[in-house]
Amino acid sequence: MKDQGTKPSIPNFLYSALGVLMINLIIFVLLYVIIAAEFAVSMITLLCTILVMLYLDKKGLINEIFSIFIKYKRTALISTVVLALIFPLMLADKRYIAHIAIIVTVYGMAALGLNFQMGSTNMVNFAPAAFMGIGAYSIAVLTAKFGMSSWVALAIAILTSGLMGLLIGIPTLRTKDYYLSLVTMALQLAFTMVLFNIPYLGGPNGISGVKPLSIGEFSLVKSYTVFGVKIAPQIPYLYLCILILALFIYIAMRIYISRIGLSLNTIAQDEVAANCLGINIAARKLFAFVIGAIFCGVAGALYGSYTSYVGPDDFGFPKSLMIICMVILGGMDNVVGVVTGAFILTVITEKLRVFSDFQQLVYGLILLTVLIVRPAGLIPKRVRNYCMVFKKNIVKHTQD
Amino acid sequence: MELLFGQIINAILLGCTYTLVAIGFSLFFGVMDVVVFCAGDIAIFGAFSIMGAYTILASAGIFSVLPFTVAVFILLLVASILCASLGLLTYRFSVKPFENTSALMPLLSTIALGVVIKEVLGLVFQRVVNPLAKAAASGGEALAVQGGRNPQAMPVLIAPDGTITERNLIIIGVTLFLLLALFLFLNKTKIGLSMQAISQNKDLSRMIGINVNRIVILTFVIGGVLLAIGGFLVGSYNTIIRFDNGTMYGTKGFAAAVVGGLSNIYGAIVGGMLLAFVEVFVSGYIPNGTAYSSIIAFVVVVFFIVFKPEGIIGEKTVEKV
Repeated sequence: MKDQGTKPSIPNFLYSALGVLMINLIIFVLLYVIIAAEFAVSMITLLCTILVMLYLDKKGLINEIFSIFIKYKRTALISTVVLALIFPLMLADKRYIAHIAIIVTVYGMAALGLNFQMGSTNMVNFAPAAFMGIGAYSIAVLTAKFGMSSWVALAIAILTSGLMGLLIGIPTLRTKDYYLSLVTMALQLAFTMVLFNIPYLGGPNGISGVKPLSIGEFSLVKSYTVFGVKIAPQIPYLYLCILILALFIYIAMRIYISRIGLSLNTIAQDEVAANCLGINIAARKLFAFVIGAIFCGVAGALYGSYTSYVGPDDFGFPKSLMIICMVILGGMDNVVGVVTGAFILTVITEKLRVFSDFQQLVYGLILLTVLIVRPAGLIPKRVRNYCMVFKKNIVKHTQD
Repeated sequence: MELLFGQIINAILLGCTYTLVAIGFSLFFGVMDVVVFCAGDIAIFGAFSIMGAYTILASAGIFSVLPFTVAVFILLLVASILCASLGLLTYRFSVKPFENTSALMPLLSTIALGVVIKEVLGLVFQRVVNPLAKAAASGGEALAVQGGRNPQAMPVLIAPDGTITERNLIIIGVTLFLLLALFLFLNKTKIGLSMQAISQNKDLSRMIGINVNRIVILTFVIGGVLLAIGGFLVGSYNTIIRFDNGTMYGTKGFAAAVVGGLSNIYGAIVGGMLLAFVEVFVSGYIPNGTAYSSIIAFVVVVFFIVFKPEGIIGEKTVEKV
């Protein structure tokens, strides 16, 4: 932020509701091109987008765009909702692209969950995939073995993953830095080994026949014909996933601007100082773990019920590393950044399916490069705008 | 009684392999205050480089020209040089850029580097169609390749004509020799003493005229060599190595170092032995325990971290505000 003092050079016409609409439209077109185009086109667009984003950030314009969005909140919200409703319909005849979109939303949720611990509180948790696994295995066991309704199973999956977060959170209260990461890493490795060794959970074969989510008689993973047009079976599920992702983004943003988010950041900067300020460190850390685990658990449950199969390979250490990579690439402690990171990495993974041998290598190289070149991530943490936190009080004060 | 003796030998063997990696962690942590998480991968890289060098040398017919011990010595030398350069690479690309950042950055970067090392190994050694067939054709001893994804059989380089017990005793002997050499090096030579000084206070040691940069680089070289030999011993103990063994091996080594006390090199020995004894006795005496031995070892580690984070030998640190 070298040129903070100078006036940002955004064209004037963007400072309006129409400008917000335009920016939103550009973002959605880019998303569509990156996700739906051929391999080469998609990768080139992605690269160009990343370069443009880096350029914008260097000029400090990303924060400008954020502030325009905040200023014209209603227009931004309505246009985003409309575009999000149209977006899946554009993929109606593309099964595989819709599949990629679902995976993006699932990992977006998991990355948001990890962000509470890694981004906000600076506790590196190496077990997000284990949390996902808890959610997925809960819904799998309950629907495939006990024949429960999948919505009840989803609710129980939320409960079990929250409990698991609490269980892992308690020992980590006494630990810090390396020790914390060793504890979570040990738990992640032990989790996979337990899954491999329990015959009831299918061992290495996993559990198949997980019931898909359904509303009444309508299964959400099924092909329907609407107005004479046959739509891909993934589309209804994609709507559900986008809905839940939007809900999670909303929750994460609310937590970020609330006192809880502020206290999490305080703990990340200096634990002793946070204690002196009267922040209940134990409660806040446990909160970060439990809500992160619930986010990851829901992501895992949605994944399991979508693929109708869960296996230990989907929730191993490499997957944890991938989610960590997403958070760091996108930008720690920035909700939009984290989801962007999840989008970029998932699309790269799915488009690189042909070269699946190189997948892990690509993650490792991306993580290393990002850490060396740009440790803050693509969209770095924003400087907190304290007026937003205490807006109501200030408004009241000036009215008096 | 016979069984118990066998189990104890087995545990000590496993402990030796853990100890070497744990010492690597302790050395790096001492001089740089960072946890170099790719230590396990560096060790496995050492094992693979020995295997690759063996394949090449055996097909070139070196083994029939030179005496066996000399050839093995050359192999170890090659692996040590490769691992030392990998150690330098680790320092340059995943430790030095993060000298003044928060402690978690080097942790993540070394993990990323570990993934890169692991995957490169996997890619390179999957392409070698069957190194053992070549080795066997040129007079080397071939081992049965068991299941799993691309496991590579380690050539028998320690006492190829001896029994398993003899081989195991040699592994223990090599580890003891290395530990003794390290002890003498750290306590009797100037470089070793400056390493200890740096681990106590970096600024002060710079003030009394120690070239900190050079000593840190030297530590990474020495650590690389130690890890190479550790990887070689692990390969010989298991007789089979896989490219992704490094993650588990590294985590166990780190766990051993933490259990013993991360800042103390002798703690690494205690921690490694403790972890190995727990693992071997769980799989030996609890029915169906083999599957759960690693899990129980991890549970022990978690308990240690929670209730005695300074380790068995380490000093308790009190945080000053």
